Order: sequence, then C-alpha cells, then structure tokens
Amino acid sequence: MNEKNTHDNDIDQEYVVPQWQLDLDRVGFVRKIFLARKWYGGDWWFVVLSAFLLLFIIIIGIFPQWFAPYDPKAEVSSSLLAPGEAPSSFVLVANIDSDIKEFKEIASSKNKVGIVVASPSSQALREAVTALNDEAKAAGEPATYNPRPIRFETLEEGLEATAAGEVNGFIAAPAELEGIIEKYPQLEICGALREETAKGFIFGTNQIGQDIFSRIIWGTRIALIVGLSSAIVSILVGVPLGLISGFISGPFDRILTLLMDSLYSFPGLILAISIAAVLGAGIGNVIVAIAVLYVPTYFRIVRGQTLSVKQELYVEAARSLGAKPSTILWKYIFPNVIPSIVIIFSVNVADAILTEAGLSFLGLGLPPDTPDWGIDLARGQDYLRRAWWLITFPGLMVSMVTLAFSMLGESLSEILNPRLAEL
Amino acid sequence: MSSSLRNFLITRIFLTIPMIWILITMVFIVMRILPGDPIRSQLGPKVSEEQAMALRERLGLNRPLYVQYFDFLWKMVTLDFGTALTQGERPIIDELGEKLPATIELTVPAMIFTAIFGIVSGAYAAEKRKKTIDYGIRLFSIAVYSIPIFFMGLVFQIIFSVRIPILPLAGRMDTLMMTNFRPITHFYVLDSILQGNWAAFRSCISHLILPSLTLGLALTGVFIRLTRVNMIEMLQADFITAGRARGLPERRLVYKHALRNTFIPILTLIGLQFAILLAGAVLTETTFSWPGMGRYLVDRIELRDYTAVQATIGVFAFFVAIISLAMDFLYAFIDPRIRY
Amino acid sequence: MMSNDKVLVQVRNLSVNYHTRLGPVSAVNDVSFDIYRGEILGLVGESGCGKSTLGKALMRMIMPPAKISSGAIIFDGEDVMKFDQKRLRDFRGRRISMIFQDPMTSLNPVQRVDEHLIEAIQVHEPKTVLENAQERVRTLIGRLGIQERRLRDYPHQLSGGMRQRVMIGLGLILNADLIIADEATTSLDVIVEAKLVDQLREIREEFGLAILVITHNIALVAEIADRIAVMYAGQIVELGDITNIFDNPLHPYTIGLLSSVPSIKLDDHEELYKMSGEPPNLTHPPSGCRFHPRCPEAMPLCSRFCPNMEEVVPGRWVHCWLYQDHPQKERSTIKVKA
Repeated sequence: MNEKNTHDNDIDQEYVVPQWQLDLDRVGFVRKIFLARKWYGGDWWFVVLSAFLLLFIIIIGIFPQWFAPYDPKAEVSSSLLAPGEAPSSFVLVANIDSDIKEFKEIASSKNKVGIVVASPSSQALREAVTALNDEAKAAGEPATYNPRPIRFETLEEGLEATAAGEVNGFIAAPAELEGIIEKYPQLEICGALREETAKGFIFGTNQIGQDIFSRIIWGTRIALIVGLSSAIVSILVGVPLGLISGFISGPFDRILTLLMDSLYSFPGLILAISIAAVLGAGIGNVIVAIAVLYVPTYFRIVRGQTLSVKQELYVEAARSLGAKPSTILWKYIFPNVIPSIVIIFSVNVADAILTEAGLSFLGLGLPPDTPDWGIDLARGQDYLRRAWWLITFPGLMVSMVTLAFSMLGESLSEILNPRLAEL
Repeated sequence: MSSSLRNFLITRIFLTIPMIWILITMVFIVMRILPGDPIRSQLGPKVSEEQAMALRERLGLNRPLYVQYFDFLWKMVTLDFGTALTQGERPIIDELGEKLPATIELTVPAMIFTAIFGIVSGAYAAEKRKKTIDYGIRLFSIAVYSIPIFFMGLVFQIIFSVRIPILPLAGRMDTLMMTNFRPITHFYVLDSILQGNWAAFRSCISHLILPSLTLGLALTGVFIRLTRVNMIEMLQADFITAGRARGLPERRLVYKHALRNTFIPILTLIGLQFAILLAGAVLTETTFSWPGMGRYLVDRIELRDYTAVQATIGVFAFFVAIISLAMDFLYAFIDPRIRY
Repeated sequence: MMSNDKVLVQVRNLSVNYHTRLGPVSAVNDVSFDIYRGEILGLVGESGCGKSTLGKALMRMIMPPAKISSGAIIFDGEDVMKFDQKRLRDFRGRRISMIFQDPMTSLNPVQRVDEHLIEAIQVHEPKTVLENAQERVRTLIGRLGIQERRLRDYPHQLSGGMRQRVMIGLGLILNADLIIADEATTSLDVIVEAKLVDQLREIREEFGLAILVITHNIALVAEIADRIAVMYAGQIVELGDITNIFDNPLHPYTIGLLSSVPSIKLDDHEELYKMSGEPPNLTHPPSGCRFHPRCPEAMPLCSRFCPNMEEVVPGRWVHCWLYQDHPQKERSTIKVKA
C-alpha cells in the first residue's frame, strides 16, 4: 500500500480505506446506522439489543391481553403448581356398600369427609365445596354444601376409618392411593372430585392459584406506567429548575443547589418509603414518591451543563448582540443539555422500576391485588422453601426490563459522552 | 495542618449543618404537611374522635405548625425521640441504639467487598477499553445493577440455604445461641469476640455472609461504572502520556498513577452513592430478617408508629450527613491539592 | 540524505493515519528527515498540520485509533519500528524524552517532584540504590536551578516554568540523547518562556543532546533552532539551516508563513501577508501536492502529482515542483544557488 511516491502515481493513495468507510458516504440514514457498528463495536450491539428488548417490552406493556392467557387476578387452578405441572386430580374414596357415585351426594353439612392433615387434599376439598356452592347459587338453589372435614395423621388411618364407616368419604390423590387401596377391599374409588383441567401452566401458579405468567405480563404495564411517568414528572420539574438555576446564579441558585444536594444525598428508597407511607397506597402516590427522588439528578446535570455552556463564546456573542435571556436559554443552552437528559432518562426509568418493585416488595406501593412484580416477589418470599417459581419469574422480569433500560443508557453514554470520546 | 486544609475542613463542617437542617425539615414536611393523617392511620378507623384528639394532644399535634416544627427540630438535635407507641413504650433512642449497629455491621463488609471488587474490575475494564473483557465486565455491571437486590437475596437464599443448606436463611445469629448471648455494643461480631464466645462468633459470621454479599454485589455495578468512566478519563490525561513517554511500564501507569488519581473523584462519589447503600440495606434487611434500621423502619410503618418512623428517618439523615462529612475529610487527606 | 555518525535519528517515509468515524485521516504523510547529534531542530507549522503527531511517532507513542502505517525510524543505528514493548520502554526515557504543552497537567498531581525523578531512575535502572538515585536527583535539580527544598513539593505548588524544568529534568536524569519539546513554552508567559529557551540552549551545550522543538511560533524557532523543518498538511515541505530559510525561503508555503509573521517595529504599518484558503481537511487531502489549492505558484502539474523531498543544495530540502523536473512540467525548473 505505501510505496514511495513515483511520478507515475496518478492519485496519491497512501492507505487503503476500509470498504465500509467508503460505503458510509454513499448510503442512506438507516444503512449508516447499520454501518456504525464497525466503529462503535460492542456499544452498538448493546444499543441495538436493548432497543429490541425495549420494543418487545413496550408492546407487552401496551397490549398485555394479547400475551396473557388468563386474567391476572383470577384464581384459575389449584395453588402452587410448578411450571408445566398439571393440577393433580383428587378422587373420592367411599365404602362400596354406601352406593355413593359423586362428591355432591355427601357434601351436605351433616356428612363427614376425611383428609390427611396438611396435605393438598384439604385445599382440593375446600375448592370442590366452593365450586358446588357456586353452581348451586347459579342455579338459584340455596348454597348449603359444607361437609365436616375430619383430619387424619396418615393415609392408612383415614382409609381404615372410611372402611369402618366413621366418615362418609375420603379424599386423596390417585398417586397416593396406588398400592394401598388394594388392602381395603371394602373401599372403592368413586371418581374425580371435580372435572380436571389437564394442562399445566408455563410458569406455574402462585399460592392462590393465579397464573404467574399472566401476572408478570400484566405487571409489565404497571412497571412501565410507573417507571415512565415518574421519570417524565422528574424531567418536567428538574430540567427547568436546573436551567434557570444555572442560568441566573446568585442566591437562588445557591439555595436550590444546597437543597437538591441534600435531597440527592439522602437514600432515595427511604425517602420514597416515607412519602409512600404517608400518602398511602395507590399508583399516583407511588409515581409522586418516586418522581421526587430523581428531580435532583436532572437538576444537577442540567445545572452543571448550563454553567459550562453559558461560558461558551457563542452564548457570550448572542448575549452581546442583545438576545433575550429566554431566547438564550431556550435556543442556545437547552439543545446542549438534551443528550445528557436522554441518557439519564433511560437510566432513570430503570432505577424507577427498581424502586417501584422495592416499594411494593415492602408492601408500600400499590393495592395488594395489583398484578405487580414487587408484590408477587414479596408474597413468594413466604413460599421460598416450597415453590422457587413464585419469585424466580417476576424477579427475572424486573431484571430484564431494568437491564434493557440501563443497557441503553450505559451504551448511549459511552457513545455520546464527550468526556469519553476519542475522536 | 496547613491553613488551607483547616479552612477546607471548617467550611465542610459548616456546610454539613444546613444539610442536616434541610434533611430534618424534609422529614418534617413529609410527615406532617403532606396530605394524610398520621394519627388516624395509626389508630385505625374504629377509634373515636375523642381518643384521636387525646393522642394528638399527647404528641403535641394540635399546636400551630410552626411551633411543632421548632419543637421537632429541637427534639431531633437533642436526640430526644420520645417513646415508641407500640411494644412496651421503650424509648426510641434505645431501640435505635440496637438497630443502628446491626445496620453498620451489615453495610461495612458490603462496602469493603464492593469497593475492592468494583474498583479493581472497573480499572481493569478501563485499561482494556473496547476489548472483549471490557464489554464482559460492563455487561456484568449492568446486570448486577439491574437485578433487584431483594430478588438477588431470595435467589441466594434458595441456592445456599434451601437447596444446598450451607448457610443460614435469615437473622443475625442462631436463635438457640441468642439465649445465652448478652450483647454489649450490639455489634454482634465485636461482642462475641469481646466475650470470647467463638461459637457465637462463627454463627454471626455465617449469618453475615449472604446479606452482605447480596448488598455488596448489588452495589458493585455502580462502582464498576464509576471507576471505569473516571479511569478512562484519567488515562487520557497528559501526565499519563508523559509517563508513557518516560518509558514507565503500562501496568504502573494504570494501577499506580491513574488509579491513585481516580480515587479522588471516586471518593466524592462514594459519599454521594452512600445513599444507595443505605437504601439497599433496607431491602436486604427485609429479605434476610436482619434486625437493623431499615427493617425497623418498615416494621414501624406497618404498625403505623409514626413517632418511631420520623425518628428513624431523622437518624438516617444524620448518618448520611456524617458520612458525607467523613468522605470530605478523607478526600482532603488523599488529594494533596487540598492538603497543601 | 547523509548517513554517518553525525546523524542521531533517521526518519524515512513515515506515515501516520488516524482512523476516525468520518474515515481515515492522513495526519503524517511520507515524511523523511534526519536529526543530528546535539542540534536543535525546529519543527513549525499551523495547528493541526500533524507536527505533534510526528513528534509522538518518533517515540512510537501513537495510540489507537491512530497507527503508524508505514516508514522507518532509525535511532542511533537501530530500527525503532522493530522494538518490542520492553525494548520500547527502555528506549523511551533513556534515549528519548518528551516535554508537553501544558505543564499544569503533565506531572502526576498526587506525586511529589522527587518521586517522579526517582521513579524514572528506578524503572529504568532497577539496580540503583535509593541513596544514589537521590544524590543524582539533587545534583541535577541544582543544575536546573530548582531549589532542593522544592523536591518535596507537589506539582501544583510549583510555577509553570518550574514544572517545565522538572519535565526537562525527567528527560535529563537518564541522559537521553533527544528531547522532544512539544509546544513546551506555549502556555508560559513571555518572560518565563525566554528563560526556558535560554535554559534549553544551555542544556544542549552542557549535555550535548539534541532537541526537537515543535511549535507554531516562528519567532521562538528563530531564537533557538539550528535548523528548521516546515510542515504543512502532514508533510514536511522545506528543511534547512535556520539562516538560509529565513533569508531565502524557497517553498511558497514557507514564503507565505514567514511574511505573515508580525514585526514589532512601531512605525511598521505594512499590511501582513494573508495566505489565501484554508488548511485542507485531511480526511480527503487534495490530490498531488497538498498545498496546491492555496499556492500562488501552482501549475497544472501540481494537482496531479506529488513532488519529492529533494535536496536542492547541500543541506537544503524542498518539497515543491518549482525546484524539480518532470516530463509534463510546463515551466522551467528554478536552480537554487548554494
């Protein structure tokens, strides 16, 4: 490539320009962004990856009903089903002589039904009774189904009691009965407690039988609403204050700066906790409590930039030509702070979503039946030993959404931050 | 001590006073001026208006706001927080005296972990800027930043106490051991050493590992980012180029010259980021049932014990202001441009 | 060009490219020159013409995204381009040293003056005993006119001129053969600058080292240099003895540059010469001779072919078609008298 110049050289070609750089001059905007990956490398991929992730998340947040198979607040199946696990069916065991065909026959309040203590059967019994009562109500009959549950220490004790006629029927899972029921020839399996829903749930169900997948899909909407609106409120307050404070200086600036610095140094979550505690639960209150935290962030950055832009020659020149302060602020200074606002906004939304999840986790944010990741995590904490899926999926969802926003902010700042620029 | 250093420190001390004042005022505004009636929420709807009035009078809430404000300021400054409304009406200052050491015991190891881990990997990423390892470290820092601290805690609990039960799930010490353990300073690690109670010491340490690791790891993301950005800036400084022109080894330039200078901006930022640590501590304490300030605050909010809540937030404010002052002192010590 | 033991550095066909996102910039393009032992060579040019890049390239201090794309640097008979990292570190500091523009920032703010100097000794001569190193530092500092009590100071406690002397000291402590002073006096005020210039000259006499003075300030070069190299748009356009060039500039750019220097004679109301046009954008440099769009003497040939660096009389090189033959040239070649 580099040879000594000879007189025959037509054009002085000293280096081989990489093809992509030549292409850069000729292509349109979209292709230019695509080609920029060669220059920005990993950061370009970070931006693209997080942009796609965000697009996906925002679509989920706007149209959760397209993705969620169930109502997030509805109890759709038995509780604490592992991901993919079908709800176990329960069967009624009764004495052959009693001639019972289905559960309904022995569900009145004068009958006794046996269960093993602290087993899933107790809940199955409860659910079956509720279902019968609902059915009766729908048919206009009085809802009077209420059999007395009798608890036994072991399955064998229960079955013996059933065989002896002490209880009218016994409820157990078919898997448990296998190999044991044969020992009691006088007992028979009368059939399922209620009709089965055979298919499982992709992320399982929680402790009250709600579909976790549907809940985290609907939780996206809550998280996005809280994250975006609180960030926007902070911008609307923090940016004008920062601009004005940096622009006019003087005692107003000093007092405001001291105030904002104090606010900034105070642990954000603790401030949000106290505001949320005083205001009470509700999505608007959460937005206010979180917005307060990020006002100082915008204020500090915008004020700092205003101070430095104010010194620039072109601003001085505009001032000497008699431009109005409002014109200078709006036309000269404001455009310069936009890139930093974009970067902080992105990181700020991520942080706001984390804070919201934290508030709900502490039980301070939203009404308790809201499909919210923080609330689900807090509830799942009680079932840590039994059901890992209760916390895992909402937790991963918070992490993913936060990751998308903060990755966008981080890589944009790497690309746009003049302090880090090389050329 | 040179006169410029003395001036710097005196200025800082004087700047801390308005900061504490602003923070206490903020607590007052949040607790009394925002809409919402603390007394009603404390007593619940069933209590009669007379009873509510009686409690208002007892707490001085029926006086004019400005009187309440100055009274509040005075009580905060004299650390006279009153007594808790619940749980045997103990003086709040005594309760906080037990909770604050727990929080400090949790945050100090977390801070040490995060500072060492975060600064070293941030500096390394800056040295290898735009190489694969840099992107790897950055991705890690974004990821740990994005994982909610309580979720990380819960996952650690599932892995290390439920699936592989090698570490305790929650609390500061085994419950059995608590019966014959008498705390002196309420720093349990320190207390068990002072008493020579090695079983208690082991129990304390094993209880400390998961919460402080969680807290430390969650903060590492911020630290890596700060260190990296400041290091990159520092590595473009003239004195690094000049050092390179003198033939100083790259390693020495990065880890001695640049890193030592980076400590100065990082230290100011640590002071400011300390807030994140305390906020993280609230969530960590709740996750691990760690009986510190944060959990106390959340508990009292649930119990609607509004006197205790405002005292706790006030103590947090003091704590933040003092840390920020301490950082300024340290800053003055590290940066010769202030020292001389 | 000559190549004997008088020559300290030989630079041959050196090119440096910056890879920016707007495309590659050819900051230094096919530059060849020599630096003699014990001389002061002035390298002048407008800002952005690549003179600082050239200075850094001599030490192989070009950092990504820039790259030395080709050429050779022979320092005292050894090819610098072939050095490995270890060799290169040893070469920097021990053989060659650099003083930068901004004395405020070119010393480590958290390191004391003597720590800088002792560190330089310990890194390059690890066997040196601390006492010996301290002794050497004290001797040197005395010769540079810095008081011994200043050794325990931090850089921010020193004046600008004093800091530049410390930087010179860092070059001298290891007996470097060449010091590159990159705009070293630009940020100092006039009186301090004059002192530093005197000192540089004294140092050259005393230590017998060569100094490459990179500056945009022609007056400074006139004051200090033995020879001068004029740089334009990444190329050296003229090189020769200071007196010859000032009395009889050959390249049209040099002529323009010299006549645009203001004189301080009070009654002199002569209008200064203003060169037409702008320095070129090095992303897309002009074809042929890079100066031709601004050159008052430009010929059709100039936009098509790049001239060579030719020795028109002994010790005098010019990079211009006016003084070179070419089959397609319309005008006759000017012959320069020695």
